[in-house]
Amino acid sequence: MRVKIVMELEDVPGQLLRALEPISRFGGNIQSIMHQRERKTPLGRLPVMLIFEIGDRARLNRILAALRSRGIRVTQLGEREGAVRTTVLLVGHIIHTDIRDTIDRLNAVKDVMVSDLSLAMGAPGKESSARMTITAADEKRANLAISKLQRIADRKKLLMITSLGGV
Amino acid sequence: MRVVLVGFGNLGRGLSRAFIQKASFLHRSYGLIPRVVAAVDEFGAVVDEKGLDLARLLEAAEKKGTVAAAKGGKRGKLAIKVIEDVEADVVYELTPTNIKTGEPGLTHIKRAMRAGKHVITSNKGPLVVAFRELDSLAKRCGVEFRYSASVGGAVPVIELARKLLAGNEIREIRGVLNGTTNYILTRMTTEGAPFEIVLREAQELGIAEKDPTLDLEGIDTACKLVILADSLLGMNAKLGDVRRTGITRIGPEAIRLAQEAGQTIKLVGIARRGSLEVGPKLVPLGHPLAVGGTLNAVTFELDLAREISIAGFGAGPKETSSSLLGDLIDIHRTLGG
Repeated sequence: MRVKIVMELEDVPGQLLRALEPISRFGGNIQSIMHQRERKTPLGRLPVMLIFEIGDRARLNRILAALRSRGIRVTQLGEREGAVRTTVLLVGHIIHTDIRDTIDRLNAVKDVMVSDLSLAMGAPGKESSARMTITAADEKRANLAISKLQRIADRKKLLMITSLGGV
Repeated sequence: MRVVLVGFGNLGRGLSRAFIQKASFLHRSYGLIPRVVAAVDEFGAVVDEKGLDLARLLEAAEKKGTVAAAKGGKRGKLAIKVIEDVEADVVYELTPTNIKTGEPGLTHIKRAMRAGKHVITSNKGPLVVAFRELDSLAKRCGVEFRYSASVGGAVPVIELARKLLAGNEIREIRGVLNGTTNYILTRMTTEGAPFEIVLREAQELGIAEKDPTLDLEGIDTACKLVILADSLLGMNAKLGDVRRTGITRIGPEAIRLAQEAGQTIKLVGIARRGSLEVGPKLVPLGHPLAVGGTLNAVTFELDLAREISIAGFGAGPKETSSSLLGDLIDIHRTLGG
């Protein structure tokens, strides 16, 4: 089975390794690790999303127990098809149309988050460009996020450039 | 085979040169002897049922600007008259495209078919306006109708799908179908230069027209997509059915951001049954559609073969004559030649 967990780690060196060790010890095959730096908790802990394959429920329980005994807090647990990432470009008055609001609205979609953002400013008064990576739990969620972003882009008069073949 | 050329601009001239250059090859390989018995342009016509001297025809047209200046030519002679009156097997319709009315090409093609002549065209206008009508008219009249050169220039997009991929169901067609916009996007990528400067350069090189609207707004790509949808997906689409975004808002910054993520921006037409779309898309570097310069490329998504891609030169008189000539050979073979 494929499992997705989100756990909170102290933002100091060596923490990730401590968390991964039990997973590999009980035969988990790690497929994706994603730091959610922009979602740091008030106590400064860093949410990390992990996706791994594991043989059965019993082994998963042993992993969870091992994480608990190491003081690592697991905040989300679920079986997942695996994370899907897609990149989009936006062109327009991105800052003036409140990029923060755009991102917040995407993050509000369940199991979707904006995991990367790069901005390139145009000359004063000219349009800017942004590249956004959207990570979603599965393809359906990713498509949902893309259509939501398209609606936001239309309203904010931004040109949205999606990846060929969708998600 | 007796051939009438309607339209003697770049394509008509390119085809004539190919006829001269390939005469013995065509005879030797296919037993095909194309005999141009008439040529017409907007100023007049020249007819010789024994076959025109193509070298002289080219010389006269290039010097005087019309085929009517060739020996025996008549100014003011109308294309319709020639199409209907001159004994011929095939009419090439190569006049300039009008995507709103399809004229004058549309009338030329219909008249030719009703006169029992096979038709080969590069003209997008009549196909975009009246594909189904022309397709069924050809069948009713018992004539062959070919239009390979209307999409992809030299790239045999339609024929590849029709002939070699005939056993597949086509699920989706994706294509970079406009050389002008691809050149502009490529130059913005390699030079990091602003859109306006690259456009001016393209205009100076003759790659973009003085009024580049049809290319930049994705209308030319949309026309080609309609032709592909109608001819390969069995749709009855019109230009208004295509959701369309052009490339005028794309600057070097957007392209740089794409590059940093291992992608490039291409103007892509995407046809699926029930959905036609033209717009800028992120294409991974190294993807079959990530072709540079003025190149065209098309990917078919198929049920058996999965994906087949093809790329090549999408414009130019010599390149396009490859498709125009290919259509003639194909008709010759279809008729048992």
